[in-house]
Amino acid sequence: MENTTIIEFHHVKKKYDDDIVLDDVTFEMERGKFYTLLGPSGCGKTTILRLIAGFTEATSGEIFLDGKKVNTIPANKRKVNTVFQDYALFPHLNVFENIAFGLRMKKMKQAQIEVKVKEALQFVNLAGYENREIEQMSGGQRQRVAIARAIVNEPDVILLDEPLSALDLKLRTQMQYELRELQKRLGITFVFVTHDQEEALAMSDEIFVINEGKIQQSGTPIDIYDEPINRFVADFIGESNIVQGKMIQDFLVSFVGQTFNCVDQGMKPNEAVEIVIRPEDLEITPTEKGKLKVEIQSVLFRGVHYEINAIDDAGNNWLIHTTKKVIIGEKIGLSFTAESIHVMRHDETEEEFDKRLGAYMEGESNA
Amino acid sequence: MYKVHNKSSSFAKIYLILIFLLLYTPILFLIFYSFNSGGTMGSFKGFTLDWYRDLFKDMRLFLIVLNTFAIAILSSLVATIVGIFGALAIHSYKQRKTRNTLLSLNNVLMVSPDVIIGASFLILFTIGGIKLGFISVLLSHIAFSIPIVVLLVLPKLTEMNPTLMDAARDLGANNWQILTKVILPYITPGIFAGFFMALTYSLDDFAVTFFVTGNGFSTLSVEIYSLARRGISLNINALSAVLFLFTIALVIVYFLLQQRSNLKTMGVRK
Ligand SMILES: Nc1ncnc2c1ncn2[C@@H]1O[C@H](COP(=O)(O)OP(=O)(O)O)[C@@H](O)[C@H]1O
Ligand SMILES: [Mg+2]
Repeated sequence: MENTTIIEFHHVKKKYDDDIVLDDVTFEMERGKFYTLLGPSGCGKTTILRLIAGFTEATSGEIFLDGKKVNTIPANKRKVNTVFQDYALFPHLNVFENIAFGLRMKKMKQAQIEVKVKEALQFVNLAGYENREIEQMSGGQRQRVAIARAIVNEPDVILLDEPLSALDLKLRTQMQYELRELQKRLGITFVFVTHDQEEALAMSDEIFVINEGKIQQSGTPIDIYDEPINRFVADFIGESNIVQGKMIQDFLVSFVGQTFNCVDQGMKPNEAVEIVIRPEDLEITPTEKGKLKVEIQSVLFRGVHYEINAIDDAGNNWLIHTTKKVIIGEKIGLSFTAESIHVMRHDETEEEFDKRLGAYMEGESNA
Repeated sequence: MYKVHNKSSSFAKIYLILIFLLLYTPILFLIFYSFNSGGTMGSFKGFTLDWYRDLFKDMRLFLIVLNTFAIAILSSLVATIVGIFGALAIHSYKQRKTRNTLLSLNNVLMVSPDVIIGASFLILFTIGGIKLGFISVLLSHIAFSIPIVVLLVLPKLTEMNPTLMDAARDLGANNWQILTKVILPYITPGIFAGFFMALTYSLDDFAVTFFVTGNGFSTLSVEIYSLARRGISLNINALSAVLFLFTIALVIVYFLLQQRSNLKTMGVRK
């Protein structure tokens, strides 16, 4: 039987000298899914990829590939291939030989190599480019060659380290679609690294949000967007309004001096919490109908919507996305539903968070 | 502005021409008299190729030429191989300080006077009981060529993107394959440059060779020196002319290689 889990990290720690770069990282990745490691620059994303690929060794902890512990297995013996950030194509070889490199290492027959390379080139829409030199290729084409060079080896896992960051916006969006499409057609696991949250939300089956060497939260894009576990995740994934509040009791929370109904539960009575409301969940109403009363400070036209910055009587800033036109200085009301209030506890671990959410689900189905 | 620039550049031109005339005149003078039927460098009697004919008939000289080339090619080959691994070793040190120290040690060998190197080899061979002759000359040529090769190969290694090696390993290459399939092809221009440089150094080395040749073994430069000491024969002129042409040919080859590698690296850097 094939394992459904293809990559597993078990309490992995990585130190460079005395710098702790990864701190007790534990996760599992399933076969055939598209995973994204998302986090700011320097948080340890590349280090995780290098550990999976085998370019570097963990200081402690265990790493499993396809159920086998691989801590000391060198990179050339792992069924993993990498698409490097700078592509790392061999400048002295042409496109064909670059892609054939891995197959030649396996001593495959020339005829078979030719078939496979051709197939791989077709996969990345570069058919007919076999004899080009690397320096004759554009950035986007090099990118595709790098991808072809990885997929031609038919690995269990493909690692992509910010592969799109060097491309211009239009090409980047196109490549996002193509990569996702490619992953579905090949059916192998992709581990994709990016610091761009929109890219992560658009492409992934599952996202791991990382900060300072720790996995902050993992889940589907919707889970993470809707239920951020802490301030960092809420801030990093999309724009959000975050204010301090207090959980009066289950389903009742107070912030900015008022009490609101909400859908969260499982906290201590009167526990201090943080409240997240997404800018697009705030609805503009006449002042008297609003749950909050704010004064508009600035308006920016963003194409699909206006981005409004407003301030309430208590001095909290509110970011609002709306298609309604408003005037600076105008007083408006803001309304929101109980579902759009997201309550975050201070210092809650992902485990506790999942448990609380699990209990809440059970409670719902029992009722 | 334009005028001044023009003036200074024409001044520079004249200056350069003068310098080159000064440097090349003796050589051209030497070559010119190699065609003299008069037999001395005093006056030009008439055109002849006799000296060249003599030259090509002289079996002893022919052997010396063979020796010289054998030494040059063998020593450059060995020095290139040793030098490549030396450069790889220096490059493998991650710390900049260690790397620079090693490189400086290498460069000291390049700039220290030949006389000192020659004398120290002589002492070494005498102590080590190595008979002076072909082997001693070969060994010393290898030794002074290695730093040259290191110096020309190292920049290529530094220029190489280290993720290329990760990429090769990622695609299943072992250490040996990384060396032969990625690193060596990448630094090939540097290797060729090093080899040709070593070849020219070996061909025209006099000082070091002079110390370590024993009786009965000689290279061209040493031979020319002893011929010149014995008294003037226009044979020397003919020999010098041939050597000069050959050196020029080597320099041109070296130049072409350099040019090609420049084009290559410019391409790599996008
Ligand atoms: N070879 C190394 N030696 C020392 N520190 C390193 C090394 N590689 C990475 N680091 C450090 O580890 C941290 C995480 O790096 P990295 O995984 O590359 O981050 P990311 O890819 O998320 O930007 C950074 O602070 C970086 O400086
Ligand atoms: Mg990185």
